[in-house]
Amino acid sequence: MSKPPNFRFFSLVARNLANRPYRNLATIFAFALIAATFFSSQYMMSGAQQSLDMGISRMGADILVVPEEYAGAGQTVILTGTPSSFFFEDSGFEKISRIPGVAKASPQIYIATLFASCCAAPVQMIAIDPDRDFTISTWLKENPGVKLEKDDIIIGSSVIQDVGRDLVFYGHTFHVVGILERTGMGVDNSVFTRFEDAYVMAAESEEKAVKKLTIPQGKVSAVLVKVAPGTSPAAVASEIMTQVPGTKTILPNGLLNAVSGQLGATTRILYGASLAVTIVSIPLLGLISVLVAHERRKEVSILRALGATKTFVAKLMLAESFSLAIIGGFVGIGVSAGILVMFQDFIMHTLKIPFIIPSPIVIFVQGGSALLLSILVGGIASLYPVFLIIRSDPYETIRGGDS
Amino acid sequence: MINITGVTKTFMTGCSEVRAVDDIQLEVSPGEFILIFGRSGCGKSTLLGMLAGLIRPTSGEIRIKGVDIGSLSDDNISGLRAKEIGFVFQFSGLIPTVTVLENVLLPTLFCTGGPGSRLRALELLEKVGVADRADAYPCTLSSGEMKRVAIARALINGPSLLIADEPTGDLDVDTEYEIMELFRQLNHEGTTIVMVTHNPDLISYGTQTYRMDKGKIVERPGSSSVSNRVPGPDCILKSKDLP
Repeated sequence: MSKPPNFRFFSLVARNLANRPYRNLATIFAFALIAATFFSSQYMMSGAQQSLDMGISRMGADILVVPEEYAGAGQTVILTGTPSSFFFEDSGFEKISRIPGVAKASPQIYIATLFASCCAAPVQMIAIDPDRDFTISTWLKENPGVKLEKDDIIIGSSVIQDVGRDLVFYGHTFHVVGILERTGMGVDNSVFTRFEDAYVMAAESEEKAVKKLTIPQGKVSAVLVKVAPGTSPAAVASEIMTQVPGTKTILPNGLLNAVSGQLGATTRILYGASLAVTIVSIPLLGLISVLVAHERRKEVSILRALGATKTFVAKLMLAESFSLAIIGGFVGIGVSAGILVMFQDFIMHTLKIPFIIPSPIVIFVQGGSALLLSILVGGIASLYPVFLIIRSDPYETIRGGDS
Repeated sequence: MINITGVTKTFMTGCSEVRAVDDIQLEVSPGEFILIFGRSGCGKSTLLGMLAGLIRPTSGEIRIKGVDIGSLSDDNISGLRAKEIGFVFQFSGLIPTVTVLENVLLPTLFCTGGPGSRLRALELLEKVGVADRADAYPCTLSSGEMKRVAIARALINGPSLLIADEPTGDLDVDTEYEIMELFRQLNHEGTTIVMVTHNPDLISYGTQTYRMDKGKIVERPGSSSVSNRVPGPDCILKSKDLP
């Protein structure tokens, strides 16, 4: 028969924590708050950054050409998919195609849809020329390699419908043939069809839809440009604006800068909140620890009289503090991760930033760093109480009164 | 076993120096039950604190089993305390967050390789008469039960010396008698005990009895006023009944 184990150090830590529930719950809450704000800041920052990187790389184009007066709207369509309809007076598409350095050019028509069965809100319909397009078909998650035929549409990942099913826009029935991978950007809320079908849909809308749709013949909303290898996109963009008056060119870097500004403001708020919570929590936790240290002076003195070294007492106090920090950290990270995942779309639309759930490794690193911050704060907050207890005269404390 | 030579302890209170213990000489042999009594503030608890290594003497030397505890580091004194000295306080001194059995096992955390074990803890609880309360929390025990658990805890590492600081100070007369009988039984079984008390009715329990006053030992064994009465409840009750 094996010998039953003696009382262990961590049993004492666990008992001390379990038998002081109210004070410890308050401390756990403070640690959870620190971990949650820090984790949320990092999570949202990296989610937005990752989404932006992915979205821009998947855009596949080096330059987006839009009407000068709709530069902002064009940017919004790309970033968040907020529905918008606009057209060039004269796209100069043929002219753009012939500019030196332009390898490919793909025209697009942007149509803001009405409410549809797939979606809680109108989506952005984008009509493309499948023969010229170089940006969409390569990012199909389902049914890769499919080409748009009559009345076919490819949908973004946030548009709820399955391949092989139908969707109706402006009274026109489309057949879903492909679903794009998630990017966290505007493309997730967009549907792609052919020019010809868009024109038919517009023509039928007067009879079939509650609101008539007008798409001016021969006019496009934007032109996506791929430059030839070794050519500077900035130089080509500049040439386009010179040769085709009334156009505005948007480069991926420009998109990045636009979002960075938005993201920067959000990030500053999040990190500011995180810093404020941490700064407020350290003295608060320190105060709780000091009060606890005073409350436990006699208990610690008894341990010292029973043979505990000062190192043991310090280890006990720190282990309790670190345990609370770890529990609080896990609670904070878990709860905030749950909220962030559940309300991902709401956050994205409220803050007007692209967003995608970061990779598991990134989440793991962020969770780990939030946990480390909690532990660090726990350690700092415990230093003074530990010092107080170690410095106190155990025998004087023992003689001081009843426990 | 214990040699106390010229031990003095002074404290500063404000601008004046107080000599709490003044040039104490004392020898304790194995198996003795030393009882030091005196009025509150006479320095007996300070002497006990120094004996346990919890207070450093201002001058003089305390040797336990030949080791000068004044020359030891704080960690080494703690180690010596864990292994060689069992401590019973005036109040129960039980840790409220752990059970009775775990309280008894606490000193094993500080004395690895000692005889302390769960089985021994249960045996000790049996010996002091509270085995049935092993899984209870201290707050559910009576004062007498708490004191018994504290005695069991003091013995868990098999110390060569048991120190008791006014162990019956907060007990009623009946419980005081029971606890003192327990101490005497332990002493008869070979445990060396040094106890301080302000209650002169208990002096007859000691094999050697000393009286302290103003930091000094003023009466030693053999002095006429140090009683050698037969201990027992009648003796205690009679004394307590005096006006």
